[in-house]
Amino acid sequence: MAEILQLVIAGLATGAIYALAAIGFTLLWQTSQTINFAQGEFVMLPAFFALVAMNWFGWPFWLSCLVAILVSVLLLGMVFKVIVVDPMLKQGVLPLVISTIALGLLLREGAKDFYSAEAQPFPYIFPDRQVSVLGVQLSLSQIGVLLIALAVIAALQLFLSRTRTGRQMQATAQNPTVARILGVPVERMILYTFIINAALAAMASLLISPIYLAKFSNGEHLGLAAFVAAIVGGFNQVRGAIAGGLLVGVIDNLAAAYVSTGYRQSVPLILLVLFILFRPQGLLGRREERAV
Amino acid sequence: MTSVLDVKNLSRAFGGLQAVRDVSFEVQEGEILGIIGPNGSGKSTLFNCILGQLVPDEGEVRVDGQVVTGLRPSELNRRGVSRTFQLLQVFPQLSVRENLILAGQEHRGSRLRRLFGPRDAGLTPDANRMIDFFRLGHLAEEKAGGLSYGQQKLLDAAMAFMAGPRLVLLDEPAGGVNLTMLASLKERLQAINAETRATFVVIEHNMEFVMSLCTRILVLAEGRLIAAGTPGEIRSNPDVIEAYLGH
Repeated sequence: MAEILQLVIAGLATGAIYALAAIGFTLLWQTSQTINFAQGEFVMLPAFFALVAMNWFGWPFWLSCLVAILVSVLLLGMVFKVIVVDPMLKQGVLPLVISTIALGLLLREGAKDFYSAEAQPFPYIFPDRQVSVLGVQLSLSQIGVLLIALAVIAALQLFLSRTRTGRQMQATAQNPTVARILGVPVERMILYTFIINAALAAMASLLISPIYLAKFSNGEHLGLAAFVAAIVGGFNQVRGAIAGGLLVGVIDNLAAAYVSTGYRQSVPLILLVLFILFRPQGLLGRREERAV
Repeated sequence: MTSVLDVKNLSRAFGGLQAVRDVSFEVQEGEILGIIGPNGSGKSTLFNCILGQLVPDEGEVRVDGQVVTGLRPSELNRRGVSRTFQLLQVFPQLSVRENLILAGQEHRGSRLRRLFGPRDAGLTPDANRMIDFFRLGHLAEEKAGGLSYGQQKLLDAAMAFMAGPRLVLLDEPAGGVNLTMLASLKERLQAINAETRATFVVIEHNMEFVMSLCTRILVLAEGRLIAAGTPGEIRSNPDVIEAYLGH
C-alpha cells in the first residue's frame, strides 16, 4: 500500500508537469487553432537557457531560472508567434502543423549541437531528501514539484476566470468574430496565450529537468505525454488538460513499476488509442460539431 | 427631429452583381425601422455596409451627423452602434451575466483600468437590470451555451443594449424563434425602445413580426429601394406585392 502511494505521488508530480505543457497545448488550440508539435522541445529548451546562464555566464541558479523563463517568453512565445505561426496560419492548419514539427527538430538538434549531446545534471529546486509521512517514504523534491505545479495551475485558473483580461481571452477562444466587434483586442489576447504557453513550458522545464536531467531528446517523450494528456482531457478545456496530465503521469509511473520500464514510453500511446476508440471527446471535453 | 442614421446613395457590387444600388434613407431618433425584401434583394449587404463589415463602393453613412463610412465594427460599437446577429453569436462557455458584462466592458474606463480595474467593470448592476428586463433572471448563472435557441436570442438582444447604444441593428431577430418566445421578444424590444429612446433598424423575413414591431418599413428589391411607408401603406403597395409575388 505504502509503495503504491509513493508511486502515485511521484506520478502526480510528473503528471502535474505534463499538465503544464498540456494546458499550453489547449490554450494555443483554443485561441489560434495552433497545434504545436514542438511543445516537447519547448519544455526541453528552457533548462538549457538556465544551464547557459549558470555555466557560461556564472549567474546564480535563481537568476538563471528567471532568465530562462524570460528568454522562453520572448523566443518561444512572442518570436514563435510572429515568425512561425502568423505567416503559416494564413496557409492553413496543416502547413502550420508541419512547420511546428520542423521547428521541433531544429530545436532538438540545435540544443545538441550548441550545448551537448550528453544528459546534463540540473539542480533541484527543493532538497532531494526523503521524508516519512505516516510510514510512507515521500520525496520532498517530488512534493515540492507537485505543489509548485498545482500553484501555477491554480493561479492560471484564477487569472482566466476572475480577471477582465482572462474573460476577454475566453471570449476570444469562444467567438473571435463577436469578441472583435465588441472591442476585445483579439490579437493581443492571442499573443497573451502564446506568452502564457511559453511561461508554462519554462516552468515545466525547470521542474522536470532535475528528475530527467536536461537532455536534447527529452522533448520526444514530454511532447507526446503532453499531447496525449491534452487529448485525454478533451483538448478544448483547461480543466481537462489538468486531469489528463495527472492521469497520464500516474498511469505512466504505475506501468513503469508494475509492468516494465521498457514499455513505459508506450503507455501514453495505449491511453491515446483507448480514448480515441471509446471516448473521443476526452474526459471533460465536449463533442464538437464543425460546419463546413 | 434629429436623424440618427443617414444613408446616402449607397452602392456596393460583388464582381458583376450590383447588390445594392444607390440606396438612401434616414432614420429618426427612437424610430423602429424595418427593412424587408425578397431573398437576394441586398438587405444583408446594406446592413454590412452600415456596420462596417463591408466597405461600400459609393455613398456615405452618417451616425448622428458624423461620417462613419468604412469604420471598423469595433469603432462603430464604441460610437454607440450595436447589433444582434442572424445566427447565434453568444459566448457559450460564459454565464449569461458574464456575456452581458463582456458586451459592455470595452466601453468603460481607460486602457489601464480595462487591464487592472475591477473584474465586472462596475457593470453588474447594469447586467442585472438587463437580465430582469429580458426576463432571464432564473438563467443568470447558467452557461449561455446551455440555453434554448429563443433564450439565446433574448440574450443576444440584451447584449446589444449593454453599451447603452444610440442605434441598434437587428439582423433577423425572429429567425428560428418559437411563437411564444416571439411575442415576448417583440414586446421586450418595444418596451426597451420606449424606455431608452434607442433607434432600431430591423431586417426580418417574418412579415407578421415586422409589420407589428416597426413604425416604418423600407422595401428593397434587386438592390433598389422600391417603397417606403407605414406597415399599412406597404401592405397595399402594388410594387411590393409584385416584387414578392412576381408577375
